[in-house]
Amino acid sequence: MTESSIALKAQGSRGVVPWKQVLLLGSVVALVLGIGLGADSPFLLSLAGYTCGFALFAVSVNVMLGGIGEVPLGHCMFFGIGAYAPAIAMNHLGLPYEAGILLGMGFSAVLAVLIGWLTLKLTGAYFSIVSWGLSGVAMVTALNLEITGGPLGLFGFTRLAIGPFDLSDPRTYFFATAAILLLVLIVLANVRSSRFGNALESIRQGRHLAQSLGINVFRERLKALVFSAPIAALAGALCIPYTQIVTPEVMSVLRTVDALLAVLIGGTGLLFGPVIGAVIFTILPQFLQFDPNVKVLVFSLIIIFIMVVAPGGLHQLFKLIERRLEKRSEGRA
Amino acid sequence: MSSSSGYAVEAVDVKKTYGGVSALKGVDIRIPQGSIYGLIGPNGAGKSTLFDILCGITKPTSGTVNVMGMDVAALPAYEVARRGVGRTFQRTAIFGHSTVYENLLYASYGRMRHSAVHRLLRLPVWREDMNTFADKARDVLAVCGLTELRDQLASALAYGIQRRLAVAIMLMNDPKIIFLDEPVAGMNEVETADFIQLLRAISGRRTIVIVEHDMAAIGALCDEVMVMVDGRQLVTDAPERALKHPDVVAAYLGASDDELV
Ligand SMILES: Nc1ncnc2c1ncn2[C@@H]1O[C@H](COP(=O)(O)OP(=O)(O)OP(=O)(O)O)[C@@H](O)[C@H]1O
Ligand SMILES: [Mg+2]
Repeated sequence: MTESSIALKAQGSRGVVPWKQVLLLGSVVALVLGIGLGADSPFLLSLAGYTCGFALFAVSVNVMLGGIGEVPLGHCMFFGIGAYAPAIAMNHLGLPYEAGILLGMGFSAVLAVLIGWLTLKLTGAYFSIVSWGLSGVAMVTALNLEITGGPLGLFGFTRLAIGPFDLSDPRTYFFATAAILLLVLIVLANVRSSRFGNALESIRQGRHLAQSLGINVFRERLKALVFSAPIAALAGALCIPYTQIVTPEVMSVLRTVDALLAVLIGGTGLLFGPVIGAVIFTILPQFLQFDPNVKVLVFSLIIIFIMVVAPGGLHQLFKLIERRLEKRSEGRA
Repeated sequence: MSSSSGYAVEAVDVKKTYGGVSALKGVDIRIPQGSIYGLIGPNGAGKSTLFDILCGITKPTSGTVNVMGMDVAALPAYEVARRGVGRTFQRTAIFGHSTVYENLLYASYGRMRHSAVHRLLRLPVWREDMNTFADKARDVLAVCGLTELRDQLASALAYGIQRRLAVAIMLMNDPKIIFLDEPVAGMNEVETADFIQLLRAISGRRTIVIVEHDMAAIGALCDEVMVMVDGRQLVTDAPERALKHPDVVAAYLGASDDELV
């Protein structure tokens, strides 16, 4: 079932509590609390926090991939801007971390308008390649500017805190990133089932038909990019407490590739798909102590496997299980 | 908004070239308001090209095109659609990965006013949009005989039903003029008869323009037809007379033997 049909059903039964959503939200909150309060290892907690940040980036990438069907190879640029903005704000401008986050999100949105204006007339491989090229330019810029600290990057940050929450404490870090991720997902669920979300879905499925229905295809695609860029920037900023350093590497296209793999593992169709993928993608290698090259190999194999058994991503398996359970409960009733 | 001349479509000397190929070599067309108008001709005559130009999807190389009082050559395609021009495509265009109902939801984009923020906060604008949509969708589903199939996946529907869905999608925007490109192609006799009935039901005061190779369907529906051959109009007349016109018979015999049955 797609988001919009959930919305339609929710709307049909107005006044009734949407139990399914409440249940889902409840179990997610319980899961977060369970991890946050149960885990004692600071290492695991900050890794979990970082995973949420990475998941946020995957979610942003999926606004493009699952949303309008484009592969945004250059999305790492927005992630990088989001990471650099608070670093520069703290180290050079004497501004707090939060202000830097907002600056990065704002700047990335403005940049997305410009870049989108130039590139979104293109589709498919053309868009991907141009977007990749632009992120390369951004990386070279970061390497050569003084304000970005050149190849060494920026580090030695003063206070990584959002309001009263000090993100240098691993537990707080995890709770904060998990809460933000959840908030973004809730917003996204609503965006997807709004007029804008419907327009994106129709454009992804058939741009010519969408156009003949009065949808300004270019404008809606641009809106998708401008909507997803600040999410990527936010993700970039939220990874700083884990990495403690921002180098030009944050703009590496490999980061986008990682996120794309995560999205494909989890599935593009579902809101939670990228999150599931991101969790598998960051947690698993930690336990298996992979060499980065082995990691790429293993994940490529996983993706091929998933494409064969569940072309829609892992969430398809969850749906299958859900349907089985529903049938069983119907059978009893 | 509609032209005072009583014509829904008035196009003069429309030419279109693709590189060296000249698809339209100067077509004049006048379609009276509220009529059902047929466009026929052998393969490659330029019918779909003319359709695309009348809907603003393709811009003519030269000539003037006025549809419902709009200079469609000067407007982006989505704007022409918003102002009441609907069309279906030669290859059935539906949103295959979605249900019938969701197809209609996407189609009502132009009728909706809410933003993502309205949706997030469940504001009245969103509720009104969804209520208006539900009412409209109920009517359209009923007219197109799709009520029972509301929650079916569009790509899983039979071909004839998919074509009905394409019409339903178009109707969500209450177009004043609709363009149908080979709507009954590939349908069996029963489906074709049903479809003709559907078109009659939705015609009302609308202008309908149809490209079709099925001459029986054209004869049953159209007030007037224009026969096109090789990028030009050949004959414009009532269907019975146009189809018997010696030039038309000759053109069809010249083009292929299987089309005029
Ligand atoms: N995008 C295009 N690029 C180049 N040539 C084109 C294009 N579209 C149409 N043509 C050419 O223009 C001519 C008219 O094509 P059109 O599709 O309008 O014909 P038609 O009457 O709709 O034919 P059919 O009955 O087969 O649908 C053909 O020769 C076709 O090859
Ligand atoms: Mg054609």
